[in-house]
Amino acid sequence: MKQAQNHTKNYLYAMAIDLDKCTGCGACMVACMSENNVPFRRDETDQLLSMKWLRVYKLTNGKAYPDHDVCYLPRPCMQCAGQHEGHSPCVSVCPATATDYDQNTGIVSQIYTRCFGCRYCMAACPYHVRLFNWWDPVWPEGMEKMLNPKVSVRMRGVVEKCSFCFHRFQQAKDRAYAKGKRDIDEQDYQTSCTQACPAGAITFGDLNNPSHAVTQLVKPDHKHHGRPQAPHAFRLLERLGTNAKVYYLSSREWVRKMGDNYLKNEKQAGSH
Amino acid sequence: MKLDRRCFLALSIGGAAGTALTPLPWKLTDDLSIWSQNWPWTPVPDKGAITYTHSVCDLCPGGCGITVKKAGDRVIRVEGIEDYPVNQGGVCILGIAGPQLLYSPTRVQKPLKRIGNRGEGRWEPISWQDALAMVIDKLKTLRAADKSHSVAGVFGRDRGTVAQLFQRLLTVYGSPNFFSTPSYLDNYEMTLYLMHGMRASVGVDAKNADFILSFGSGMIQGWGSSVYMFKANSLLKSTGRVVQVEPRLSVSAAKADEWVAVKPGTEGALALGLAHVIINENLHNSDFVVNYSTGFETFKQLVLGKYAPETVAGITDVPAEKIVALARAFARARKPLAICGRGQGLTPGHLSDYIAVHALNALVGNINRQGGVIAIPEADDIDWPEATMDAIAVAGMQKGRIDGAGSSRYPHSRSLLNQLPEVLNTGKGDSIETLFVADVNPLYTMPDAEATRAALAQIPFIVSFASFMDETAQMADLILPNHMYLERLEDVPSPAAYPANIIGLSRPAIGPLFDTRHTGDVIIALAHALGGNIAAAFPWQDYPTCLRETLGDKWNELNRKGYWQGPEVAAPLGFGTFDTASSKFEFSNPDLNAALESQPALPQGDATTYPHLLLPYDTMRIASGPIGSPPFLVKSVDETVLQGNDVLVEVNPKTAAALQLADGKPAKLKTPKGEAKVRVHITEGVAPDVVALPRGLGHTAYDDFLAGKGVNYNALVGMTEDPVSGLDATWGIRAKLSKA
Amino acid sequence: MDTALIPDGVKRCPLPKFAIGLTLVGLVLAWGVYAMLLCWIKGLNQTNMNNAYGFALWIWADLAVIALGGGAFFTGFLKYIVGKDELKNIINYAVLIGFICYSSALLILAIDIGQPLRGWFIFWHANVHSMLTEVAFCLSCYFGVLTIEYIPLILENKQIDKVPFFHNLSHNMHEIMAIFAATGAFLSFFHQGSLGGVAGVLFGRPFGYREHILIWPYTFFLFTWSAAACGPCFTICITKLTEKISGKKLVRDNVIELLAKISGWMLLTYIIAKSVDTWYWATHTAPEMGLHVSHFYSNNALYGYWILFTELVVCGFVPAIILVTNGGRKNKFTLISAVILAAVGVCLNRWVMVLQVLAVPVLPFESWELYMPSWQEVATTILPVAYGIILIMISYRYLPIFPQEKELNPVE
Repeated sequence: MKQAQNHTKNYLYAMAIDLDKCTGCGACMVACMSENNVPFRRDETDQLLSMKWLRVYKLTNGKAYPDHDVCYLPRPCMQCAGQHEGHSPCVSVCPATATDYDQNTGIVSQIYTRCFGCRYCMAACPYHVRLFNWWDPVWPEGMEKMLNPKVSVRMRGVVEKCSFCFHRFQQAKDRAYAKGKRDIDEQDYQTSCTQACPAGAITFGDLNNPSHAVTQLVKPDHKHHGRPQAPHAFRLLERLGTNAKVYYLSSREWVRKMGDNYLKNEKQAGSH
Repeated sequence: MKLDRRCFLALSIGGAAGTALTPLPWKLTDDLSIWSQNWPWTPVPDKGAITYTHSVCDLCPGGCGITVKKAGDRVIRVEGIEDYPVNQGGVCILGIAGPQLLYSPTRVQKPLKRIGNRGEGRWEPISWQDALAMVIDKLKTLRAADKSHSVAGVFGRDRGTVAQLFQRLLTVYGSPNFFSTPSYLDNYEMTLYLMHGMRASVGVDAKNADFILSFGSGMIQGWGSSVYMFKANSLLKSTGRVVQVEPRLSVSAAKADEWVAVKPGTEGALALGLAHVIINENLHNSDFVVNYSTGFETFKQLVLGKYAPETVAGITDVPAEKIVALARAFARARKPLAICGRGQGLTPGHLSDYIAVHALNALVGNINRQGGVIAIPEADDIDWPEATMDAIAVAGMQKGRIDGAGSSRYPHSRSLLNQLPEVLNTGKGDSIETLFVADVNPLYTMPDAEATRAALAQIPFIVSFASFMDETAQMADLILPNHMYLERLEDVPSPAAYPANIIGLSRPAIGPLFDTRHTGDVIIALAHALGGNIAAAFPWQDYPTCLRETLGDKWNELNRKGYWQGPEVAAPLGFGTFDTASSKFEFSNPDLNAALESQPALPQGDATTYPHLLLPYDTMRIASGPIGSPPFLVKSVDETVLQGNDVLVEVNPKTAAALQLADGKPAKLKTPKGEAKVRVHITEGVAPDVVALPRGLGHTAYDDFLAGKGVNYNALVGMTEDPVSGLDATWGIRAKLSKA
Repeated sequence: MDTALIPDGVKRCPLPKFAIGLTLVGLVLAWGVYAMLLCWIKGLNQTNMNNAYGFALWIWADLAVIALGGGAFFTGFLKYIVGKDELKNIINYAVLIGFICYSSALLILAIDIGQPLRGWFIFWHANVHSMLTEVAFCLSCYFGVLTIEYIPLILENKQIDKVPFFHNLSHNMHEIMAIFAATGAFLSFFHQGSLGGVAGVLFGRPFGYREHILIWPYTFFLFTWSAAACGPCFTICITKLTEKISGKKLVRDNVIELLAKISGWMLLTYIIAKSVDTWYWATHTAPEMGLHVSHFYSNNALYGYWILFTELVVCGFVPAIILVTNGGRKNKFTLISAVILAAVGVCLNRWVMVLQVLAVPVLPFESWELYMPSWQEVATTILPVAYGIILIMISYRYLPIFPQEKELNPVE
């Protein structure tokens, strides 16, 4: 579809997570739940049923005590671009156009009221970022007061996922418009997890803007779907061609190697 | 007309076909889907103008600046304040979940009087007037019977106006028995007292250090002011190095540049081993040692004699080469900084460890300067006129503290809450007739939960100021609920281990939701009602007036900026002042030597019955203090920590194999103090025969999202006192893990 | 009692016996309906699906019944387009089985989706790039075709046929049935293929993903092919089962053998193509994603190489070779074994293309996820089987399904 206001500049929002700095404290998870009205249940210990837009994985190097090492890896939605911008694994399969790739921001959206819960997108996503509302969301009496009015509460039977706090983008756009500015400032649109991370491990911004910190951190190769050129940067499952917009940074080789699948005798791709 | 079967069929089919041609089915289909998009039982948040209130978080001793986001009159979010010096925009997981605490179903909504047995949970609402009258009556009776010293108060902290108001009330009433929650900070305070000669709190300038050597301190697990330490840790990723000495691969150990796996309980010996290498190889800062310290020779003889790397390697299981290399790296760093206090420092630990670790800082001269350990003299923010004491008050105060703090047994200690259960249970000391409890949950947080429960049972009248129906509140006779922190105005004293004196102002983001009252106001009201000298010592109409007048000229700045920061303490190489007899830093003096030579506390239990060692660990995702984890936190807990209602203990594969335990399978954990059902998580992150259990689970109080999940470490562990400080030196307990 | 409804010249069991049978199956049906209502009222938390298993037993059941129902379109294709006229003796039953399979598939889909009330959004807000959209459109259209193909059969009921209007309608519908059969075959080639595409396009799921020809992944063609091969086998299975239960010969052997022979060659060519596809995927597609083929068949309790062997050899080459040989078809035991194996094979293929796709870990730090359906899922999956049995029972009793029945079983 042709953009009506073709004078507006295209953004390409992306996130870089420094796994050296990430402490696995979980503040991002809770900041996300708090911002996005994510419901909670009495028993959330089954991770395959737990609604977490952002989940923190625990990676281990598999070595014995005391050479053992662990690393935490926060996993929001990767906002995949796919092989050609917009051919995300999930967007391409949704039968009802309930999820879409926003060409203006590079963010994969989800329309909860259109989704009818076929869960094909969940089967398509290799990162398990897509979550189904198996239950009606219920808040303990009185606690529904903490719901964020900018984000709608999802009903049972639909799929939801991390949106890079898209409502914040819209608010930032409104603010910029009100100020008569054409562009959104880097600080004006930050996701909830980025803002909350007490370790400052998450960097969020526009890859189309060379001055943004995220661009400088990952040095995307725009000719190759934004493949990172920074020495310690990598994306999850790069080889599948999902072309994620979440980048990870780690100084530890074993961690970088955990980002993708490699055959036994294969040298790690992308290590410079 | 005759309606036969055929006709009926024709009518039905025709009718159906006809209806299908009308818009009705389409309209119905559409309406049904619209209904499914707006199910009345799926909440729609009310819109409302978005506003922000700047405040300071009071959920832990971290003291972060927060901004509370509201939509209309609803609190929807807590964020960090960008330019607040402590947290610089960051906020921790518990802080973010604050609104869940505000709207928690476990809030105590009005004053309650117990009607059933203790712990039975049967309450009767009571008016504030009647509730206060009950307390006043009790206090008057006790005082009249010369039992003023049998009134005690346990508060979360001893600093800040509310705690000070209560302490003042106790003093003029005639009781010295004011208790605060013990932690690693008490040990630091005593270390500074013994080595610097002054009552001071510890400040750790982690952001300006370039080498942090942490003896088990959870830099990124909530030690110190958590967000400040997180930021420092991140900064060190590019500017320095972190080495973590710890028996278990904690997050802090994993994220450190180096993890030194040490035998549990031998951290102090390792510190002295490092001191040996530093002194032996002449790597110490001779300027500091020569010009600013005394007692170096004695200290030198001690460490050179007893702590050679090979000896220490035998004690700690850390190879001698590693000890030498670590000592060299530490001493050669520009700003090396050693810290201690295990995990979040909830158990104070052995005093000698602190002395040994602080001696390392002294050896490299990194004291009272940028990037070092700073002794922040006790603040004189609260400068109330000396209260006039009547005879009963004087007599009561002379009775001495029930816990023995300040007595000849523990001359340097100021509060030993951990001693209280034993004193009460053995009946050796005085009794407590009335206990006030505020911002603490000793029944949950104190070691040996059974002993604590028995001790509380000895106390005839317990008044709780709890905002939440926690374990201790359930044992109370009367609850006078405080506003929770998002509803109240209060000063927040300097954050734990923060390298400057900073007072924050907690401001109400929202009016009280329930019929609660500020504890400060309640204390003043009680004092006024008690009359005489007591009332006279409280010349304020209410708490806000008291707060404003107390803060005096700081008030305006506090009110404007949300915080007031004292002058920089760290003067470049001025080293501040040492208030010791020699006016110098003391590496050695009789008290210090006694502490250094005291034997480290051994875990309770014998090794044959209990072949394993139970160690606690702290994680940011579980609140282990007086506040129970809100639902979001419980939700964030890993599947390797909690499964259903069962907590998983970390076990080495070798131990698991010996016990024939598979990953995730149930097991029985028995210690000399208790027994629990757990599951095992097999990991190489712990040494063989060690069993690691997270703190903060096993609540019996709070909501369904928390209560009944996992096991409370404090119910499985006992208290072992430090011979010098009298504080709790426990770091673990012997245990037996077996197949369930 | 109900003799007025029973076709002339055939013998049926007494009504009470029939009623008892109907009741027994009806009880199973009621159990399924109860589970279905639970899923609709309480939601999909009644299942053991989770966020790793968004697709599970139901989607497998859907794919499997559609493959098995493939006998309808392929037999129709052979009869009406290719001109194998003998197949008119089995086409009715093939259509009935197809009708049951496709209506079951639609019912299961209606239970499977989280918001059944909005299920029609798939048509209204259709995303033409989605394989599922293609499936939905073709499936619904073909179900319409099957209904149209089934209606004349109903109209042939003795009583209904007496009504001149219905009699004429039936006659006219028969006249134009070739057009519907052709349409049906065309639609089926597409939706069977699209169902194959469902897993084949998932480039985030290395186990399911296949290279493409134009816009279609190889699985698109393999699914159509396998449905054409195994669907008729299932029709034969059910026909033989019906014969066994009714104790009558209903279709002549030459008809069965013709269908079996065609199926045999379809199966043989399919399984060769499938083997080549598997080989290419194992040696090229998967390694390019950094995965050795052993990754997909190890480190878990269920999915081993055995499943591949069973699918390709035991349920592929073995029945194919039996069916293409004259002796294999003539021998009753080998024929029955072969058609059963072929039907099992296609179900197994659909299972791995749904369940194993999701079970295989893709992120290196994740592990296998196995899944066990809840009773509600099992009950709702058995529901269509009970419904199918009932529909067959009633249709067989009251409709002239088998044109050869009368001459094969003359009533004395």
